[in-house]
Amino acid sequence: MTDRRRINGPPGGTRPAVYASLLQSATGAADRAQRQRQPTDLRKIFLKTGLIPSASGSSYLEFEPSASLAAARANPKSLIPPSSALKLACTVHGPKPLPRSATFSPNLVLTTHVKYAPFAARRRKGHIRDASERDLGVHLETALRGAIIAERWPKSGLDITLTIIEAEDDRWWGDAPDSHDASWGMMNVLAGCITAASAALADAHIDCLDLVSGGVAALVSEDMTGSSGPPRLVLDTDPAEHRSIVSACVVAYMPARDEITELWLKGDSSKAALEDDDKRPGHEALIDGAVDAARGAHTVLGQAVRESIARTVGSA
Amino acid sequence: MAAQRQASSASQTPHLSPAELSYLYTSLSLPKTPIRPDGRSTTQFRPLTAESNILPGTNGSARIGFADGTQAVVGVKAEVEKTTVAADTLDARGLFQQQESPAAAAGDREAQEGLGSAAVSGHGSWVQMSIEIPGFRDDDALPVFLSEMLRESLVGAVSGSGGEDMAGGLKGRLVINKRWHWRLYIDVLLLSQPLSYPLPLLSLTTHLALLSTKLPKLKSQGEEDPLFDDDWAAAQYLYPRSAPGSTAPVTTSQQVRPPVTLLVISVADNVIFDPTREEIAVADAVLAISVARDGGHDGLKLLSIRTIDPPSRLTQPGVPNSENVNMLANATSVDDSAAGGATAVNLATGDEEVSGVWRPRRGGAKRSVLARMVKTVLRKGGVGEEVLEGLEGVEVE
Repeated sequence: MTDRRRINGPPGGTRPAVYASLLQSATGAADRAQRQRQPTDLRKIFLKTGLIPSASGSSYLEFEPSASLAAARANPKSLIPPSSALKLACTVHGPKPLPRSATFSPNLVLTTHVKYAPFAARRRKGHIRDASERDLGVHLETALRGAIIAERWPKSGLDITLTIIEAEDDRWWGDAPDSHDASWGMMNVLAGCITAASAALADAHIDCLDLVSGGVAALVSEDMTGSSGPPRLVLDTDPAEHRSIVSACVVAYMPARDEITELWLKGDSSKAALEDDDKRPGHEALIDGAVDAARGAHTVLGQAVRESIARTVGSA
Repeated sequence: MAAQRQASSASQTPHLSPAELSYLYTSLSLPKTPIRPDGRSTTQFRPLTAESNILPGTNGSARIGFADGTQAVVGVKAEVEKTTVAADTLDARGLFQQQESPAAAAGDREAQEGLGSAAVSGHGSWVQMSIEIPGFRDDDALPVFLSEMLRESLVGAVSGSGGEDMAGGLKGRLVINKRWHWRLYIDVLLLSQPLSYPLPLLSLTTHLALLSTKLPKLKSQGEEDPLFDDDWAAAQYLYPRSAPGSTAPVTTSQQVRPPVTLLVISVADNVIFDPTREEIAVADAVLAISVARDGGHDGLKLLSIRTIDPPSRLTQPGVPNSENVNMLANATSVDDSAAGGATAVNLATGDEEVSGVWRPRRGGAKRSVLARMVKTVLRKGGVGEEVLEGLEGVEVE
């Protein structure tokens, strides 16, 4: 039965009226985020451990906001921020005994839990984890399980919880998705998760083979003028700064052993524009780029862990 | 509880003793000629039976059964849906054009509205995939991970030059006009217990089901509300195929086909395809590699790679004689090297190992190993092409 007693809204959704004159100031090309860094420059990372006292290990990670965001804050033209920067917190609980009902495990049982805060992205996320968050959890588990020396804690469990406070955009907010559209922001989030979780694991004094760090590289098919050519390799991409990302790759990398514990590559990487003497196929160049980005993150990670150790030694 | 927790790793580990694992690993890592438990060569797939178009209530369906008894059924259903442009997406380009030509008639507005938006190139969320595996809840890690993996390569396949029909890949094909599109539901049912990691089975079955998927023929034109032909015989394939009697047959290499996801493991220097559960249990690295045929030039195009957590990390270690308390009494009388066995560095993992004693894998994979695995899939005349040709041979009518 239709409701006849009330005046109902239209059955489909409505869109607020947007006037073209307002639009020019709100979405003008000047406000579009542009990459100011060189293709091989990484964003600065803020990483601090031990901020959550109740957890056995914790860390907080933040990416440097893009230059356009700082400019927009200083001189606001629109209420909508042009880009977002990753902020996330990681807690490690354990090692703790498994519940009595659990079957025997000769190794440490790792549980990873990735959750976006409802306000993390431009579109609100629910309180129940959706498919993409569970997917991220599996990726993170793969990345960390390769690094942890699990047989030193038989019959024990370790819970790693990541809360994404601010996520990366999948594209510039004003753009409509094009044919190459995919959840590129998720890959940056995963790289941040890996680095932060690694710092928190070290803070909790869990034995690992090496500090595993995450890095992202992407093939981007445009230059500064906006015309599209063959895709170029760009390290540590902010998806909001590029019109079209063709392919992207995230790795979890251990520099001491030169090993990759997690690799996630998607998109068409066959048409990459490399140097003339570079004979690598596109996907290998992409993986190598992501490894370079992970090496960069590793220096920050090492410094954060050093601070964490100094704090433990100082308090003891 | 523990089974559920470890479910995300490549299927549950079989209950093999460290001695059995070591035996398997040694025989699989023999240089050049590994010996697999079932006698297959490294690139050989398990025998399977396949049929498509088995469910009359669906737009397309397929069933594949492996010889070990694992079976999967896939049904594809399509629904017409109205395209809504997301409220937070301002299509700046379209609106700018409107501003530049204020004299444009109201009738043109509709045409401009969808310019460059999802209405033209399609959207990844129009393809919905759900996987049901007995013994797993549908929000467990394994089904979610598998469905994301398969969906990602499906919607990601954008062919550069596959003819006008398939320019935007599957996403573009789902566009009816600027206001309407198809929504595709792909439901995968694994009928048996997952005896081995079910990825190859599910991927092959999904591929077949999509090949046999037909959409009703559109009778309306342009921006009208869609109206379809009642005649099911006139329906068109979602992935267009060459008509049997047509004068200009399209060669198979030019046709756009759904991607397949292959499961590849590496053991020492060997790259092994379609591993059974026992083989995965000793793998150094497990990769899921999605490939599709490239429309532009023949050869295969890489769509996605994902590492899968090798279950060898969760196995129980063996104890070498030199560390075994029960053997210590004997060891004093026997020469040390004879009791402990030869300690050697495993080149693939970089760990010190006593030969014949199983150690769970640690760490990840070297870049060279990953590169070799991808190369084996993509090579011309390699496994990827072989699998796609085999699937082509399955009668779709």
